[in-house]
Amino acid sequence: MSDETTERAPFRNPGWAGNTGEFELSEDEVRGRSYVGEHAPEGGHPSRVPTVPYMLPEKDPEAPLFEGPYAERFEKILSRYPNRRAALLPTLNLAQELRGRVSPETMAEVAQLLGLSDAYVRGVATFYTMYNKRPVGRYLIQVCTNVSCNLCGGDEVLAAFLEHTGTEAGEISDDGLFTVMEVECLAACGFPTAVQINSRYFENVTPDDVPAVLDRLREEAS
Amino acid sequence: MAENSQTPESVTLTIDGRAVTVPKGTTILQAAEALGNRIPHYCYHPGLSAPAQCRLCLVEVEGAPKLQPSCITEVQDGQVVLTESEEATRQRTGVLEFYLANHPLDCPICDQSGECKLQDYVHAEGRKHGRSREPKRVFGRDDFGGDILFYGDRCVMCTRCVRFMNEMAQDPRLTVVERGNRSIIDTFFEEGVEGSPYAGNIVDICPVGALVSKDFLHKARAWDLDHKPTICPNCSQGCNIDLHVRDNRVQRLKPRANLEVNQYWMCDYGRHRYEWMNRDDRIESPVVNRSGQPVPSDWSEALEALHGRLEEGVRPVKAVASPFASNEDLAALRHLVDALGGGEIVYRLPRADREIPLPGFPRLSRRRDLAPNGRGAEILGMERVGDDEGAGGLDELAHYTGTLVVLGDELADLEADFGQQAALYIYVGSHPSPAASQADYLLPATTFAEQEGTFTNHEGRVQRFWPGLQAPGLARPAWLVLGALAARMEGGGVPTSAAEAFVQAAELAPEFQGLTYESIGTRGAIINEPVALPGA
Repeated sequence: MSDETTERAPFRNPGWAGNTGEFELSEDEVRGRSYVGEHAPEGGHPSRVPTVPYMLPEKDPEAPLFEGPYAERFEKILSRYPNRRAALLPTLNLAQELRGRVSPETMAEVAQLLGLSDAYVRGVATFYTMYNKRPVGRYLIQVCTNVSCNLCGGDEVLAAFLEHTGTEAGEISDDGLFTVMEVECLAACGFPTAVQINSRYFENVTPDDVPAVLDRLREEAS
Repeated sequence: MAENSQTPESVTLTIDGRAVTVPKGTTILQAAEALGNRIPHYCYHPGLSAPAQCRLCLVEVEGAPKLQPSCITEVQDGQVVLTESEEATRQRTGVLEFYLANHPLDCPICDQSGECKLQDYVHAEGRKHGRSREPKRVFGRDDFGGDILFYGDRCVMCTRCVRFMNEMAQDPRLTVVERGNRSIIDTFFEEGVEGSPYAGNIVDICPVGALVSKDFLHKARAWDLDHKPTICPNCSQGCNIDLHVRDNRVQRLKPRANLEVNQYWMCDYGRHRYEWMNRDDRIESPVVNRSGQPVPSDWSEALEALHGRLEEGVRPVKAVASPFASNEDLAALRHLVDALGGGEIVYRLPRADREIPLPGFPRLSRRRDLAPNGRGAEILGMERVGDDEGAGGLDELAHYTGTLVVLGDELADLEADFGQQAALYIYVGSHPSPAASQADYLLPATTFAEQEGTFTNHEGRVQRFWPGLQAPGLARPAWLVLGALAARMEGGGVPTSAAEAFVQAAELAPEFQGLTYESIGTRGAIINEPVALPGA
């Protein structure tokens, strides 16, 4: 991308992998610039670009599987695979995007949709850590404490998030907004500490940044 | 695999210096087994697919860059396989150390102890001392419903149970949940395997003590159990099974491999119906009933007196047989009835409302006929009466005035006045009942579990079984009792063994001709007639 042309131009689909064009996101939202401070507006590391927003901020645990645009997306997923069983992972993704987590009921419904056994879907869903088997807050804050981030203070960042949200790791804060958890490598080792909040990446996060980030999220939620 | 060297598609290879010729497509593990060399393995089971994930059966193949999983590597001509080489042994020791990293050492309270593959393999090739200093992960135990209990800590993740449920039972309720060292076998939350009619097999194929039977839980140690080969008496499928016996009591039933009848499996219906073999209320000695006064007797006295009664003159004979009796017993009854001038023989057979096939091997099915030898009775010209409960049908016989002989049928549904109008009422059986105990001559017989014999299953396969229990008191096989009586009447020889009794049976029924105990062997033999499936 050229520096001059993109600075103030409306965001254009750069064609990154996984962008299906189904989301109307502004460049700011994609870059996450306003959340992480002083970063060059033309972007930086591609990890700041969300691929699939695997969880919507507005979640409805009771949302039907799948209706309206989601039904279309589900059909689209099915069309990409040789059989329904192969479509299990993206279908679970879609269900989690919609409902915020993969509950036992969701597993059973997905099994029904794909003609698989309930037990098999449970086996797959529990194998992958990015499916939330338990309820999470509106913002799922995943703090990397793997090697690079750990060396640069990932544990302190995690502690700061826990302190300022007033929760235990994996729990939902009292206001229902935040769940903070520790994750392994987010593939942003060049920008420690990396934090993923829902589908957005926050890089070079220090414990001092944490209150500002949380305030911004609270503001967004209100 | 005896004549496979003659088949064109055969392959010759060398395993540990010994040449072996096997059909093309055989795996190294199977070829080694043909030589009597059992390569350690967990995930491989001959009745299931092989994912080659346990990494225990790795062997050295000359020319291969690394060790090969013998359970899925097909043999090739001229292949040189080393199962005991330094590299192969070293790697097995290493893999076993990993298996023990999380496996609890609770052998003293584990039901599998004594027949546990982990125990065996570690004893043979494991390290003398473990080096792991980490705490073991703990799962506790989970009730899978039905008869199945799961001890997660003992599991070695071979996934045989998962594959059995997927491939054979085709009821995919088991799966691997979570990952890494948190992985565990589970069902969909609280679903369990209850109601799956073949789920008991996952206990059999579990190589360790992870899946255990609640019925057998802490009941007996594996090394105290005698394994007695027999045939499951609970339906006409005739699954080959072992009675596991301790203290003259059947503790459990386990399937015995017979690829043509039941492969490696048996149904839960059959598996859990063994308690009646342990019944203590038995007819233990011959009883002669003289004008309402039962007098215990011994065999020579009772048979002598009975012979006298028969000599006095025999009214027309009618008999009741049991489909739980062996071919030999039934033939001896037919022989005796013929010797007394011939007569009708009926039998009653409980019948289920449906078959329960094993989807992955539909030749195995819990048949509708809930007795092992209805076919044998049919072959010997007996007629089926009564209802699907195995009751009724004997109203006419209850007040019969001629000579009445009952073999085996407990007559549990009948009143004490059964046979009271008969000129002579002979009862040969194992368990007393009001209707039986009034017999003029009450003669104790062994159950199938206490004698040698054969059953004819639904497809006409004659299969042998062997005694597993000591008979109580003076109980004797019915073929011996009835054979002795018939011999006294006709002056022929008394069979001295079940094999001889079978020869006599073959004289009565052309279907059995050409078969001997030797030719039937442990695998059974189909009788020489076109197969007509009952209940079709």
